[in-house]
Parts: sequence; structure tokens; C-alpha cells
Amino acid sequence: MNKDLKFLVVDDYSTMRRIIKNLLHDLGYANVTEADDGKTALPLLQNGNFDFLITDWNMPGMAGLDLLKAVRANEKLKKLPVLMLTAEAKREQIVEAAQAGVSGYVIKPFTAQTLKEKIDKILGSMAVPA
Amino acid sequence: MSDTAALRETPAREPDLLAQLADLTCNLRNALDRFRLDSRLTALAEKEIPDARHRLNHVLKLTEAAAHRTLDLVEQSGPPAERTAREAAALAGAWARFRAGTISVAEYCDLINRIDHFLTAARTDSETVRANLAEVLLAQDYQDLTGQIIRGVMNLVSEVEVVLVDLARLTGTDPNAVQAQPTDSSRGHGPAVPGVDHGAAIVNGQADIDALLSDLGM
Repeated sequence: MNKDLKFLVVDDYSTMRRIIKNLLHDLGYANVTEADDGKTALPLLQNGNFDFLITDWNMPGMAGLDLLKAVRANEKLKKLPVLMLTAEAKREQIVEAAQAGVSGYVIKPFTAQTLKEKIDKILGSMAVPA
Repeated sequence: MSDTAALRETPAREPDLLAQLADLTCNLRNALDRFRLDSRLTALAEKEIPDARHRLNHVLKLTEAAAHRTLDLVEQSGPPAERTAREAAALAGAWARFRAGTISVAEYCDLINRIDHFLTAARTDSETVRANLAEVLLAQDYQDLTGQIIRGVMNLVSEVEVVLVDLARLTGTDPNAVQAQPTDSSRGHGPAVPGVDHGAAIVNGQADIDALLSDLGM
């Protein structure tokens, strides 16, 4: 597995960003950038050559679903793996996220093992540039 | 009309007067009720609800500070714990050779020095981790404080509920006829709360989501 992948973690709670960042470090991914909502994430994504996006759903400014739609609508970003990591638990929302092109969906509270499995599954299902 | 005639009419007017008096009393009671409610609502709106907002904001700050403190301590404990494990693993090979009697004199001297160093470092590192764990324990004291604040705000919410129901009764509004405002699902609803958000529309854990996504071909 390529451990040089560049991750962007988007969550409005700084504690959750730190938790995810620590878990990613434990998995060997040291290149992690943070953003606190979709509005700040989008310019970072457009200019930053990120390999993987992990985003919350419910955030002020731009919500995670809108960020996902913006990513999929952007020619440069449309193939970026997007893992939704959220407390949103309605079936209709998960279907909505799937229809919008989410690559994986992890419900909070989550375990380190679940996060690892979903990242591995997404990376395994696509040809990741080395 | 003669006095006699007026006297004769009095019994007929009595029920009318009594009814008017009853109406008047009822109106007065409603007015007093409304005044009492108005005063209470004013106090709630002007003082207690803004107070409650400040209290909840304080809860947010306390929980956030405790979470960051805990994360700091966990992050600080990682390196010493890793160092101890790494050094112990590095010594294992030479130690095994010593136990098997196959160690050279030079390696034996080196091993003694390394063990000396390891024992000192492991004691210091373990003490750091132990002290950090004690701090993590203390960082959980926010639960007591925030719990008390949240209970106070819950009592206020209960009181607001009673006042609003009384107000609805006085104004003749049927609370059951009022429809909840629809929420915009693209913004998100926040976490599902047991006992409040339930039913078939809510997924029950990660396995449920995986099954749903699998049904959708993911």
C-alpha cells in the first residue's frame, strides 16, 4: 500500500480531525491536511493534488454532501476517492450520498478497524498512482 | 314601570347577571393567567434562555478542552511507549545469544551497556506514560460539571414546554395541529439519538450501512 498518499480530512470539530489524523498516522499515512468545512476544503483540493478525501456531512458553511457533489462535478477532482465519515444515519441520506458518488460511508462513532477497512477497500478497488 | 313590576322582574334577570359575573370572573382569571404567563415568558426570553445558551456554550468549551487535553496526552505517550517497545525488541537478539551461550565478549560488553541504558530509559518513559494516564483520568472531570449544567438546561426546557402548552391552551391553539418544520436533509440532521430517532428510516450501525451500500452495488 502506498503510504505517501496525501489525505484531506474535513470536519468542523477540531477534536475529530485530530482523532482521524492520529488514526491515519497509525495506519502509516503521515501526509494529512485538515479543513473545517467544504468551503475551505474545495480550494485546497483544487490546488493541492490530494489523493484521498475524508469528510464529515453536517458542517457549517458548505456541508459534506455539497462538497462531494462539487468534487464529482469538477473535471480535475471527479475521480478523487471520497469517504464520508459522519453521524448521519438516515437511509435516505446514505442513498443520496451513494447517488452523489461517495466511495465509502463510515458512521460515527466508528472504530480504527472500520476506518482502515474502508480506506483499504476504496484504495484496493481503484488503481492508485504510485 | 312601577316598583312592584320591577321587583317582579328581578328573579328573571338574576341568572343573566350571574352569567355575566361568571364570564367576567373567567375573563379576569384568563387575564391574570395570561399576565402570569407573559411575565414568565418575558423572564424566560430575556434572561433564562440567553443564560442557557451561554451555559451550553460553556459545555462545548469544556468538552472541547477536555478532548484536546486527552488527545495531547495520548500523542505525548505514543513516542515513549514506542521507544520502550523498540529498544526491548532491539535487545532481544543479543539477549537470546547470551542465554544460549553463543555471545561474543565484545557483544556481551555492548549488551551490558545497552541494558544499563535501556533500564534507565524504560523507567523514565514508563513514568511519563503513567503520569500522562493519570492526567487523562483527571481530564474526564468535565463530565461532572457539564452534566450539572446540561441538567439545569433540561429543567429550563421542561419549564418552557409547560409555559408554551399553557399559552397554547389560553390562545385556543391545538398543539397537535401544528406541523413540524421540514428540515433540509442535504445540510444533515446530526447524530441519531436512541429513543428519539428510530424506526426503519435509521440505519443500525456500520453493518447495516455496508448491507445498504452493497444493495446499491457498492
